[in-house]
Amino acid sequence: MDFLVTTLLNALTLISILMLVGLGLAISFGLMNVTNLAHGEFVTVGAFAVYFVQSIGGSFWLGLLAAPLAGAVVGCVLEFAIIRHLYSRPVSTVLATWGVSLILQQGLELTFGLGAKPVTPPIEGTFDLFFTVYPAYRLILIAIAMLTLLGVVLLISRTSFGLDIRTVIQNREMAEGVGINTRRTYAIAFTFGAAIAGLAGGLVAPLAIVLPQMGVNYLANAFFVVIVGGVGSIGGLVAGSVFVGGLTSILNYQISPSLAQAIVLLAAIVAVRLRPNGLFNGASR
Amino acid sequence: MIARDRNWLLIFAVCVALAVVYPLFADGYQLTVIRDALIFGLFAASLDFFWGRTGILCFGHAAFFGIGGYIMALITLNDAIPFGSLLGILGAVAGAAFVAAIIGYFLFFGGIRGSYFTIVTLAMGVICQQAAVSWSSVTGGDSGLIGIPPIAFDVGGVHVDLSQDLPSYVFVAAIVAIVVLALWSISRGRWGTVLTAIQDNEVRAAALGHNAPLRLLVTFILSAAIAGLAGALYVCMAGLVAPDLSGLLLSTEVIVWVAVGGRGTLLGPVLGAIFIQRAQQTISSFNPSLWPLLLGCVFVIIVFVLPDGILSIYARLKGLFKSRRHAP
Repeated sequence: MDFLVTTLLNALTLISILMLVGLGLAISFGLMNVTNLAHGEFVTVGAFAVYFVQSIGGSFWLGLLAAPLAGAVVGCVLEFAIIRHLYSRPVSTVLATWGVSLILQQGLELTFGLGAKPVTPPIEGTFDLFFTVYPAYRLILIAIAMLTLLGVVLLISRTSFGLDIRTVIQNREMAEGVGINTRRTYAIAFTFGAAIAGLAGGLVAPLAIVLPQMGVNYLANAFFVVIVGGVGSIGGLVAGSVFVGGLTSILNYQISPSLAQAIVLLAAIVAVRLRPNGLFNGASR
Repeated sequence: MIARDRNWLLIFAVCVALAVVYPLFADGYQLTVIRDALIFGLFAASLDFFWGRTGILCFGHAAFFGIGGYIMALITLNDAIPFGSLLGILGAVAGAAFVAAIIGYFLFFGGIRGSYFTIVTLAMGVICQQAAVSWSSVTGGDSGLIGIPPIAFDVGGVHVDLSQDLPSYVFVAAIVAIVVLALWSISRGRWGTVLTAIQDNEVRAAALGHNAPLRLLVTFILSAAIAGLAGALYVCMAGLVAPDLSGLLLSTEVIVWVAVGGRGTLLGPVLGAIFIQRAQQTISSFNPSLWPLLLGCVFVIIVFVLPDGILSIYARLKGLFKSRRHAP
């Protein structure tokens, strides 16, 4: 019983992180049709923000505030400097964002030096869950991720900015026609997605190995979340995260992590082959 | 023969001539440097054959290079297998083609194109590198496999031994020249024309009776097979194989070689590989971590300044003079 609950909670931790990272990607890749290969670096920047704040004596919570801010700043600069000029050239976007990703990785390495950076969790110890004993920090992580996701759902479905986003996504020309500044909406949505990915990086920092190159694993997995789940809805995001995160955590118990990753990749490819229409919403193809 | 083809053949002939006279002026070390660069040039040409003709970017091409390298290493290091070098090359080519066939089948027939394809192949590259690191009982883990013998085989009573610098250079240069010429004649012929049609409008090409997914798949398999061949050649020349050979950095570098040399020209990427490697060695000797940083800058510069590669500067200048001449 406790084994089952532990596996479930491990899966839930991974799923929460994937949802947060995938959210920004769903916005840029799924909705704006921009393939941003620097998305993993938002996660890295968030994790480094927590490390930096802790290393100058700040608390973890202060770092966790800085993480989405750092992600947002990087995302905003990236959108203004590069992505907005390349909306009509998809392959160029891939190349340019990959270049930015390399620059950010090496920039972080030159600034902070080689090697993994230590990040201490805000609370040590475990929490008695009645069925099993589980690390307290992971429970907090899951809670924060769920609350963030709920906030995003409310933002998109209930506010006037959310209405703008939904309008621009459905039909860009019409949205411009009714007086919505689509460039601004894109820029804000992109920055927002970067901030959420930065938050995910901050949350995962105490659990992960904080390295300048850590982003690429999140990048690959987050893309699978979006591809498998389909774009355009929070439901698809959740479904994709559960598929990728759940499968990875279950497999991680039995086999080595890289073999698990390979199997998840194959499963994702097969899933896409079997249900190409059900998993992709036509608009983004 | 149209002027474009004539120009290409002319440049090709010049390159071959340069490759032939080079050993007269170079010492052994310089020969090996160019030889290794040529192998990477072959690798770049393999990517260009797919990317340049179909417009679909494969972001994990080093996976095939690495698969070829590891298969070659495992076969030649096993003393029980006779004809190690020849079987190794065959195995490397077949192995890379097999993996490409599986992945390509699911993706192309599943309707995956464009960015989706790029991302799945990116993940494939990440996983290949991880597999090479973690499957240490076979691949030797992080340190890889060492002591791979140079290529040696008997063909028609002639013993070919590539342990010396000059024979290995000649062998590699000949293979690169033959493969590049073959790829060029495929891509300028009917096959390439159909690929261009598919790139322009796949629905229309399909309506004209072309099996688009099959064409893309076969092109992808061929491209991967040549990447596997390049990998096999490389590990025999270097004498070792390591996880880096299937890694993301090499996948990235090969894209830069193709993009700088000029996508779709086949020769350009070979030259791009040679020149950029030269630059890389110079820059890395100052500071190894400077290279990826510069590589990133090159990506951004290519996209904004030179979307068609270095060779496009010439075409642009020509266009400039032409329009001057025609002006009243």
